Amino acid sequence: MPNSVTVERSPIEQYLRKQQELETPVARFAQRHDAGGPAMEPYYRDLIPLTQPQPGEQYAFEVDLDACTGCKACVSACHSLNGLEDEETWRDVGLVVGGDRAAPYQQTVTTACHHCEDPGCMHGCPVLAYEKDDVTGIVRHLDDQCIGCQYCVLKCPYDVPKFSERLGIVRKCDMCHGRLAEGEAPACVQACPTQAIRISIVSKTAPQADAPANRDFLTAAPDPDYTRPTTRYVSERPIPDNVRAADAAALRPQHAHTPLVVMLTLTQAAVGLQTAAALAGHPLGVELVSALLLAAGLTASILHLGRPLGAWRAFLGLRRSWLSREIVLFGGYAPAFFGLLAVHHVFTPLPSMLWVPLTVLGWLGVASSMMIYHDTHRRFWHWPRTTLRFFGVAVTALLAGLALLPGDGVWPLLAASALVLKLAGEFAPLLSSHRSVPTRLMRGPLSGWACARALWGGAAVFTWLFAAVLASPALAAAGVGLFLAGELCERVLFFKAVDAPKMPGGFTA
Amino acid sequence: MSPLNTKDRPYSIRRWQGPLTDELVRRPAQFGLGQLPSRLQPDATVKSVCGFCATGCSLNVHLHQGEAINLSASPQYPVNLGMACPKGWEALTPLSAPDRATMPLLRQGADLKPIEWPEALRTFCDRFKRIQEQHGKASVAFLSTGQIPCEEMAMLGAFAKFQMGVLHGDGNTRQCMATAVAAYKQSFGFDAPPYSYADFEQSDVLVFVGANPCIAHPIMWQRVMRNPRQPEIVVVDPRKTETAMAATRHLAIRPKSDLVLFYGLAHLLIEWGAVDRAFVEAHTQGFDAFAAFVRQYPLAAVAECTGLTEAQLLSLAELLASGKRVSFWWTMGVNQSYEGTRVAQSLINLALMTGNMGKPGTGANSITGQCNAMGSRLFSNTTNLLGGHDFKDADHRFKIAETLGVELDRIPTENSLAYDQILEEVEAGRIKGLWVIATNPGHSWIEQGRFRRLREQLDFLVVQDMYHSTETAQMADLVLPAAGWGEKEGTFINSERRIGVIRKTRRAPGQALSDFYIFKALSDTWDDRGLFDQWTCPEDVFQSLKALSRGQPCDITGIRDYAHLEAAGGIQWPCPEGTEPETERRLFADGAFFHADGRARFCFDPPAAIPEETDAAFPFWLLTGRGSSAQWHTQTRSAKSDVLRKLGPRELCLEICPEDAARLGIQPQERVCVRSRRGETLATAIVVPTVQPGQVFLPMHFAGTNFLTQQVVDPHSRQPSYKGCAVTIEKR
Repeated sequence: MPNSVTVERSPIEQYLRKQQELETPVARFAQRHDAGGPAMEPYYRDLIPLTQPQPGEQYAFEVDLDACTGCKACVSACHSLNGLEDEETWRDVGLVVGGDRAAPYQQTVTTACHHCEDPGCMHGCPVLAYEKDDVTGIVRHLDDQCIGCQYCVLKCPYDVPKFSERLGIVRKCDMCHGRLAEGEAPACVQACPTQAIRISIVSKTAPQADAPANRDFLTAAPDPDYTRPTTRYVSERPIPDNVRAADAAALRPQHAHTPLVVMLTLTQAAVGLQTAAALAGHPLGVELVSALLLAAGLTASILHLGRPLGAWRAFLGLRRSWLSREIVLFGGYAPAFFGLLAVHHVFTPLPSMLWVPLTVLGWLGVASSMMIYHDTHRRFWHWPRTTLRFFGVAVTALLAGLALLPGDGVWPLLAASALVLKLAGEFAPLLSSHRSVPTRLMRGPLSGWACARALWGGAAVFTWLFAAVLASPALAAAGVGLFLAGELCERVLFFKAVDAPKMPGGFTA
Repeated sequence: MSPLNTKDRPYSIRRWQGPLTDELVRRPAQFGLGQLPSRLQPDATVKSVCGFCATGCSLNVHLHQGEAINLSASPQYPVNLGMACPKGWEALTPLSAPDRATMPLLRQGADLKPIEWPEALRTFCDRFKRIQEQHGKASVAFLSTGQIPCEEMAMLGAFAKFQMGVLHGDGNTRQCMATAVAAYKQSFGFDAPPYSYADFEQSDVLVFVGANPCIAHPIMWQRVMRNPRQPEIVVVDPRKTETAMAATRHLAIRPKSDLVLFYGLAHLLIEWGAVDRAFVEAHTQGFDAFAAFVRQYPLAAVAECTGLTEAQLLSLAELLASGKRVSFWWTMGVNQSYEGTRVAQSLINLALMTGNMGKPGTGANSITGQCNAMGSRLFSNTTNLLGGHDFKDADHRFKIAETLGVELDRIPTENSLAYDQILEEVEAGRIKGLWVIATNPGHSWIEQGRFRRLREQLDFLVVQDMYHSTETAQMADLVLPAAGWGEKEGTFINSERRIGVIRKTRRAPGQALSDFYIFKALSDTWDDRGLFDQWTCPEDVFQSLKALSRGQPCDITGIRDYAHLEAAGGIQWPCPEGTEPETERRLFADGAFFHADGRARFCFDPPAAIPEETDAAFPFWLLTGRGSSAQWHTQTRSAKSDVLRKLGPRELCLEICPEDAARLGIQPQERVCVRSRRGETLATAIVVPTVQPGQVFLPMHFAGTNFLTQQVVDPHSRQPSYKGCAVTIEKR
């Protein structure tokens, strides 16, 4: 408070002033002396290893399920002691339930990054912002290296990396590596009232085989074969076979990632149209539309990045990351296309020996887009489905591109047929008796998007059929517009309806 | 610098350092805190007892230039030993919520409009005085809380009763521990929970009845888990709760069969001669009548009534008869019942007859709810005269008048009505003005449909709260903006009778004032009696509370001041002048109870009829309770933390067993309508085997639940029976 000289006319003014004073009581009671080393050390001394891992070993979280009773202090302590954003949590506590009338079973499950042996996040990162430490095995995230592409969020089957809008990057649990290095326990280990979390040393080559309790990782958790998580969940109580996550039936529409929706749809359409143009003698209109779509799509992709200025580093992950490959392929394709286009139409027509490699580059770009999603191990994004969608757009666009040129109507008919096949492929699973998560989402909370997708697509088909009958390039062009609208809806569904795996959550997580 | 950062890096183009990395970089902090993020390095710390539940954990508040920037659990405090539950970890967050009340608000038409404090104070006094002139002094009443410090409770009670002339005031503690109070008073002669948390660690057999400490009191469960004696942990609860999962045996009794169960066990023990005759004869009264009474509870009948097998009952009785240290622990499953007092006493009786009292690891122990529930029991001036005294006792009135310098004739000669009776007076039109402090009856009071209709009966409703957004504040005519925990000083008394200090480490937002200053300002404005002139800070009040306690079972005259409490790690009552407090201490080690003859009483009655049985129209028995460790009561505070919101369900969830769900065709996560004779609410169905067929469970943290419950109270404690009513479930 400023020491202004004021005349206090009433007690209430004094009270309001005194209410704002902090100094007096704090000065009286604050502990100003330094108490030496960490005061919590006696509580966690036995919960962290005395030695560093030997070659072939790594640190791992070990959770004693019999001691975890759902207080969730680990989540809060991690949040407070690591200074996370208001809504950011690196740990979570879920619930699995099962058993029968005679022996009902419920168990809370605390979970953070599993510091996998084969980390999906790390392999997907286009800029090498992840590092699995050689000594400790801790999977660390290099915050200043991250460009905020969030591919790791899609790659991690445990929903571990968390994106911060404020910072434009993801962050995640680092097992409090700095604390461990100094003999201090990670925040969650320090804070568990029942000592249910400890750090143990596990064999890095095959933790599953080495630790029988970990062979199944955790019933109701995603398949550990993909990334080989190192966390061990141990329990002496028999876990019933029928346990499932408390939120197993909860439908969770995922993020739409609008810039990616636009990027994927437009780049694929652009490659198809560019190919059509190349086949049909480079009509300027079709080629320009293709270039514009490509430019718009790639611009959108930059909007997706939390830190686009770092995107130039994307070549770093070429060895492992399909996203890196996609960025490099389209990064080469676009300027090459724009350059050839300019030279071809302004100066001199270029030979097909230049156009063919460009076209191949474009289709390889589409293939790498497909692989990005296939590589997440999500069932809805498995290659046959993603190929149908991604190459479906490109092929349909190719046929539609040819339909834009004066002709006898066979191309619009083929474009319509291709789109019918694509629509059939997309909607067939909805009719099956198997109620997968994407199906339930599309029949439930995403039914509006599914209807929109069907209507736009159907409109495009009919327009192209009329274009075929009337042999009208103008109608075919209108069909292309409807087609793109439908494919944007398809791509929204592609993202929102995916069966995103995660660790067991609470009742309505 | 961590060794991880100094190793060879294959790619120099990778940025291991920079501003984003710096956001989270940890470095060693002072004060024994270990590593902390650079931007959260404190320059001092101060201990403050947590303001949520009655466990009474000490939180180590990290300060920067005198202001709280973070906190952690206090490592050496004898209650929590370095641990806290998520609510404690997040205790500072609700202080920064955007819906804090920052100005007094006055109702103008449909809206609450900000006004200045002088106008608010005048309005409070003018309106309540006018009501009192028209309808008599008793036509204004107050409903207070277990959430404010003892000092502020005493000021509220003194101002309302000794200055305003109010006759009736009660607290939300009526909803949580009134039953324990009534049971202890009748059985022991004073409201005296006998235990210390050390008993969790020293017991051989812990019997938890209607208690789910794993999520309701996680830090008490920590103490159970520290027990080195490999104890038997018995949980008596219709649901397979987290605690039932962690127990060594779970008795899933039929709801409301607990009284019969414990009478039946007493009968078996008497039959077997497993009674501590020496203790019973030396320290109790009424055992023979009790022994005769429980003959009506033979094994087969008890098994039939409780739904347990005879083998289960015999095995439990053997455990109690084993001569090991047995402790009984109960929470709201007992207290919130239409016959809760007798159920609590059925546990007290078992402890008394087996001599499990006053020794390590024993006792009949009530675990209570709010941070200062115990403080309200002693110092709220509602049911008891200040300091656990009796309004009806002339000597007590004289003592209080002398100690506080109040005119004797201003001290009421009769007790307050209880919460439910105050509301019935409102219904009847005899109470026209109501002042609600730090509680949210517009969500928490039982049978909300009935409560909400009361608003029409009130001429003036004042709500004093941290938030203008609570259900009750939204109903108010006048809202007084209050500072919260962390923005003021005072003392709380926890479940084991330990008095601890809370600290002011944040500035209250806007013109919010601590209740201490609000009561002083109201007293100044009401008249020029100068009731609180002697008290310039909460510690002054504490000195008066000490004087009030002199000679009582809760005598705390041996506590010097806040600094003494701080240095001792909190002090349990009693601590009379001339004694040095021990760290942990239980009552009745000498077998001397507080009745005039020094003997504990056996209190018992036959079970009462269940107020509302299930039937064809309402076939399900609704259980209610705490839903998660991250949610606190009506969520006015806990929902202000993003972290706590993440850790609890986002909406009201109905737990129903797979058999019933299948029969009704209810899918998991489906929205259902839950209906009772009094109201209905929507909920998301959660299909779990942990509830039994014919029973469903709803947590209390969402407002819908209390539209279903039925306003029935225990006749001794007048505590509402939240734990059961008949409902029906319909698909939407």
